[in-house]
Amino acid sequence: MAIDASTYRQVELCSGGGGFEAVPRVPLSLDLTAVAQRLAREGVATTDARVMLIVGLEVETTVSRSGRLLFKGRDRAAAGRAFDRLLPLLERAGRARTS
Amino acid sequence: MLMSGGIDSPVALHYLLRQGHEMLAVHMDNRPFTDESPLAKILDHLEILRARFQQPIPLYVLPHGSTQVTLMRSTDRHVGCVLCRRFMWRGAERIAEREGARFLATGEALGQVASQTLSNMRSATASVRLPIVRPLIGFDKAEIEGVAKEIGTYGISTRPGVCCQAVPDKPATRTDLVQILAEEQRVDVDQILEDCVRRAQLL
Repeated sequence: MAIDASTYRQVELCSGGGGFEAVPRVPLSLDLTAVAQRLAREGVATTDARVMLIVGLEVETTVSRSGRLLFKGRDRAAAGRAFDRLLPLLERAGRARTS
Repeated sequence: MLMSGGIDSPVALHYLLRQGHEMLAVHMDNRPFTDESPLAKILDHLEILRARFQQPIPLYVLPHGSTQVTLMRSTDRHVGCVLCRRFMWRGAERIAEREGARFLATGEALGQVASQTLSNMRSATASVRLPIVRPLIGFDKAEIEGVAKEIGTYGISTRPGVCCQAVPDKPATRTDLVQILAEEQRVDVDQILEDCVRRAQLL
């Protein structure tokens, strides 16, 4: 099943109020190595922390294995643009979990 | 004094300064797992407390993000908070030794977060030799917030910020030291610490 905008709830302010987050409607299991490789091909710097990636997009973004995305900063529009750029580069490691 | 930018640490520091202790502050900079807000908050906390107690309170900032990356790559995520704390304590102790400080201090209060259960505190603090002072250990959150409001640090602490992204989904709340030491053997403790302290900045 492809990952697209419908996979995610809306990009919204995170609990600490210092960034925006996009949470998948159903937790994903992302292949972070594949995602990092795709980002590298696009010339985007990443830090691979095994269970998450820190991605140097227009705003610094954390990609968790569960598919949760956190966009730092208070600029909602920039977070939206980072989300749009990242979305086609996400790759599932397995099937979506049901719980 | 370990400072996080949160509500508790400036209150704990306030009590120690009020008792007349000469204090220095240490912040473990968790970027990129947080944003720049904790450091900005600490600078503002210290400005208030320096003025109130007429003390210079030097601030050391130690990079901690690369330590987190190493821990996340090499160790069991469930005990990540305890391992993280052990490196924070060690970093603070190195600075304390360099400055001739005789004790370490934090704003920890029992049971507030995963790292602050009694067994996790023990697992974390077994990494250091200096005595640890916790002025808020028996306080509840409402009491701490009340003091923070009184001394003017509450509004700073509650400004927007990104929560720590390195916290695992299900952090262990009960750990034993044997398990922690076994996990820690997967990384080069001395190398991590040396790198961290070498890059410390005094603000």
